[in-house]
Amino acid sequence: MEAYLRFANDNLWGELWPELSLCLGALIVIGINLFSKSSNFHDRSGNFAILFQFLLLLIHLFDYLLLRHTFDRHSFSGMIKHGMHEDIMRSFFLLSSLIVSILAQSFLRVRKLRIGEFHHLTMVATAGLMILCQTQNFILFFVALETVALCFYPLVAYNRECAKGLEAGIKYLIFGALSSALLLFGIVLLYGVGANPEAWGAITPTVGQVDGFSFSALYHLLSENPNHLLLKAGVVLIISGIAFKIGAAPFQIWVPDVYHGAPMPVTAFLAVSSKAAGFFVLLNLVNGPFAGMSDFLLPLLGFVATFTIFFGNLAACSQKNLKRMLGLSGVAHAGYLMVAVMASMILPGSSDRAVWILFFYLFTYLLASFAVFGIMGIANVSDDAEHEFSDYEDLAKKKPWAAFSLVVGIGSLAGIPPLAGFIGKLLLFSVAFETKLYFSLTAMVIGVVISIYYYFGWLREICFHPRPVFEDDEPSHDSWLGSENSGLIKTVILSLVVASIVLGIWQGSIGDAF
Amino acid sequence: MLTVTPQHFLLLSFLLIGIGFLGLLVRRNVLLMLMSLELMLNGINVALLTFSRVGYNLDGGILVFFIMTVAAAEVAVGLALLVALYKKRKTVLSDDMGLLRN
Repeated sequence: MEAYLRFANDNLWGELWPELSLCLGALIVIGINLFSKSSNFHDRSGNFAILFQFLLLLIHLFDYLLLRHTFDRHSFSGMIKHGMHEDIMRSFFLLSSLIVSILAQSFLRVRKLRIGEFHHLTMVATAGLMILCQTQNFILFFVALETVALCFYPLVAYNRECAKGLEAGIKYLIFGALSSALLLFGIVLLYGVGANPEAWGAITPTVGQVDGFSFSALYHLLSENPNHLLLKAGVVLIISGIAFKIGAAPFQIWVPDVYHGAPMPVTAFLAVSSKAAGFFVLLNLVNGPFAGMSDFLLPLLGFVATFTIFFGNLAACSQKNLKRMLGLSGVAHAGYLMVAVMASMILPGSSDRAVWILFFYLFTYLLASFAVFGIMGIANVSDDAEHEFSDYEDLAKKKPWAAFSLVVGIGSLAGIPPLAGFIGKLLLFSVAFETKLYFSLTAMVIGVVISIYYYFGWLREICFHPRPVFEDDEPSHDSWLGSENSGLIKTVILSLVVASIVLGIWQGSIGDAF
Repeated sequence: MLTVTPQHFLLLSFLLIGIGFLGLLVRRNVLLMLMSLELMLNGINVALLTFSRVGYNLDGGILVFFIMTVAAAEVAVGLALLVALYKKRKTVLSDDMGLLRN
């Protein structure tokens, strides 16, 4: 009994209260949905989900900013780390899932899709993402990753009446499962050598316990044996599995198709939360267990980053479908963020400047992406998957507030000076220069210049009327006449826009980096 | 007398993973692609148990249960999506998909 008590005392369940209450809330949502008698698409459960997540975010921020500052603790026998970075990411995911729920509410209502299940899946996925960012053990890592993936597959194919959505769901499932299998194979190779190093010709580390799954034990193992073949293969496989999730080249094939077919709020969720989780995990791994192999990993990541930036930007130029274009521009953003990860590998410590710049960039990306996807979600186009440039023609006259939000969102994604995205890119450039990543820096600058081309093509459609109008034209379908005008969505999008502008002018302590 | 060493089991597992990966690339039937994925995961299970046996360490055996559960869940979702798509398009071949293009 005594022996078990030691482990039980180490399990700080109270520290996991945001995840636990999110799962509880998800169950309540599905319960309300199950036991309410009225029609399919009534939205009581959705309203509850939004209110619940809002309160949870408020309490979590209060708890994190004011009550508790005891960071850097490990619990569950070292499986979970409670730290400052982890808490920032938890707030990030809660915020993003709250915005996704708000955007989805009216989107689902207009299209007569079921509401409760959507919020349930979103909340469970968010709980999985939050655990994923705190884990320090590959078993928990795998389980959290699969929780997230299994929630995303049905979300992508949420509209079962739409063949495009189903096709996107199947594509995402096949590629996601393949990437999980590769990642798992890498984990198994590391575990195999870690469990008995001598049997596979590696040196047993002198410090730390023998454990093939925990990050700290693997750190010692990898720094003692940086040239072991099985370990190298394992690390490469794990990195490629994560590259799949963040959509980095050469594993980006699924991105345009899945973004194209998924419903708009899910596209936004994928673009923001899933990508941010991938980057945080990558950062954790290269600064934690894989730190001993940085000489081997740096050229690899550098190649991937450069390839990703060029591929994403060049492929986005030729797209006519806006969702595909945004997906490929997201690939390019993944390339920029990869450079921040490389810089943080070069800078010493796991909480250096590059890490904070990565966080800042992720937050600006969240603000801009949700503004853009939110406006696209309220457009009343006949097919949600097909947003063309011409649907946005002359938006500035038809709906000034929507046009303004779109312009700010796109400008922030492109990195135009008074907006937050510009500061994010500037900080990235400066840290890449500081760590002497000149090659990647050049690629980033060229990429940003290319990206101006396709972003501004869209801006031109919004602000001006690029095509002449003739008297005998067929009256085309106007996507903005019947578009919905929910007050809540308008408030949320406008506050995202204001935050984008404010962060472009004032950055708090991050701004001291200049 | 030939003895079966851990290396043989590893060879088997790498073969299973390789066959699964190849099947995923070559097959045009989504049902068979899902089966190839299962084959890969089972190959990984064999490798995991071999490593666990060589290392006298039970952690690997625990991960195997998680992998089996996840594989079952993944296939359940995959088949559900496939059935829904089949009702719409009357096909399970990946060549016949292609609604998503520029």
